[in-house]
Amino acid sequence: MEFLGQDKREGLGRRANSRFVLLLLILVSTLLLLSSLYSAEASVFKKAREGVIDAAAPVLQHLSAPIAWFNDLVGGVGDYFNVLEQNKALREENAELRQWMNEALELRKVVAAYEGLQSYQAPPEADPVDAFVIGEANDAFARSMIVNAGRSKNVESGQAVVGDKGLVGHIVHTGSKASRVLLLTDIQSRVPVYIEDTGLEGILVGNTRARPVIAITESADVIEVTPGQRVLTSGAGGVLPRGLPVGVIDSEKSGDILVDLFADYAETRMVRILNYEFPAVDEGAVTETQDGEAEEAPAPAEG
Amino acid sequence: MGYRAENLLSLLKAATPMILGVLGVIFLALPLRLFEGWAPTPIVPLVVVFFWSVYAPEFLPSVSVFFIGVLQDLLTGGPLGLWAAVYLATQFIVMSQRSYFMGREQKVVWLGFALATAGASLMLWLVMSLMSGALLPVGSLLAQMAATVLIYPLFGMVFGQLHRRVLVEG
Repeated sequence: MEFLGQDKREGLGRRANSRFVLLLLILVSTLLLLSSLYSAEASVFKKAREGVIDAAAPVLQHLSAPIAWFNDLVGGVGDYFNVLEQNKALREENAELRQWMNEALELRKVVAAYEGLQSYQAPPEADPVDAFVIGEANDAFARSMIVNAGRSKNVESGQAVVGDKGLVGHIVHTGSKASRVLLLTDIQSRVPVYIEDTGLEGILVGNTRARPVIAITESADVIEVTPGQRVLTSGAGGVLPRGLPVGVIDSEKSGDILVDLFADYAETRMVRILNYEFPAVDEGAVTETQDGEAEEAPAPAEG
Repeated sequence: MGYRAENLLSLLKAATPMILGVLGVIFLALPLRLFEGWAPTPIVPLVVVFFWSVYAPEFLPSVSVFFIGVLQDLLTGGPLGLWAAVYLATQFIVMSQRSYFMGREQKVVWLGFALATAGASLMLWLVMSLMSGALLPVGSLLAQMAATVLIYPLFGMVFGQLHRRVLVEG
């Protein structure tokens, strides 16, 4: 093991050799980079990523617990100073939620009546898996989180990840015990969404900023949106289920529609992974489904 | 027994910079959320690579630098080879300027680190912009690099003490 120690430090020709190795490795990295530019993800690289996530998961898990504890402690100190304001805000919110609760109870009755009809077929339900955030890419351009649920809990690539406020992102790599969630703000993130009450469909494109933009897919007319309108997943492409809350329209800047996300990435500790399977379309049901869709998406004239 | 323990110790000493680099990568993958997510996490591996490339490149062979970079790429989910290329390029440039840095004041070395960080940022931004097909916003990158430059004196001091007292003399 002498070669790793200091004994060979002064060795002749060592510098030249190390420069050669250095240049060689720079070449190798560049080739790796070019290959990832060329083909999105070779299976070998994917395996390596999943392996590293799995290997790092126990370390991250053990280290993230004290970090969460410490952040809670610091956050607790801040809360102590504005407890009165918080109390007031919570009381107001509580009153508002009570009204919503009453409305929801009414609606529950109505839905139960409809479900009692013979022709009713329940839509497939998502099978949720809860997980803690144990890691996060603190990178200027890569925005992702690592959560402690993987293939052993039937987590698969493409599944939607929601937090307590709204959509967080979707799974991109799954190890056996941990997976990576691509956040909506990552430059690779593309999520099909629609804007409520307008029937406008688009794709939410991440650009590393806190507010991603919507690229409208199907509309030849002038697009008019008002700040405050809700943005939900559209379910187009058959990956994420329809209707998950994403955020609200923030503003329109030089043709880009900015979305204020519901998810607060600095606060996201626990997430729910939705194991959602789209209903299989059988031949007989095609016409019915199409009718249903036409009713669901109102014409732009209405909004 | 004594001989083996000594061997193990020297191995550990030789591997210390790499271990610190790996710890820096893990640091980058933790949900730290400093100051409720407002402060970016400094890129400690860049400090490790710069420091040992200036003062004792023989303690941080290019293979270790490559390993640290690839590990960071795999763990943070970025394009594979990007951070490896950035760290190796930093090492290459710093090692070619080594004779200039030797025996200089800490302030000068700090300035050198700031320049190296700027170079690394430019490289990162160019590659990521090229890959995403649009000029990306530089705000968060600049903030993270500024944080990295700010912590350099502290880490440089700690690494200096560690290197002098433990790795070389101890």
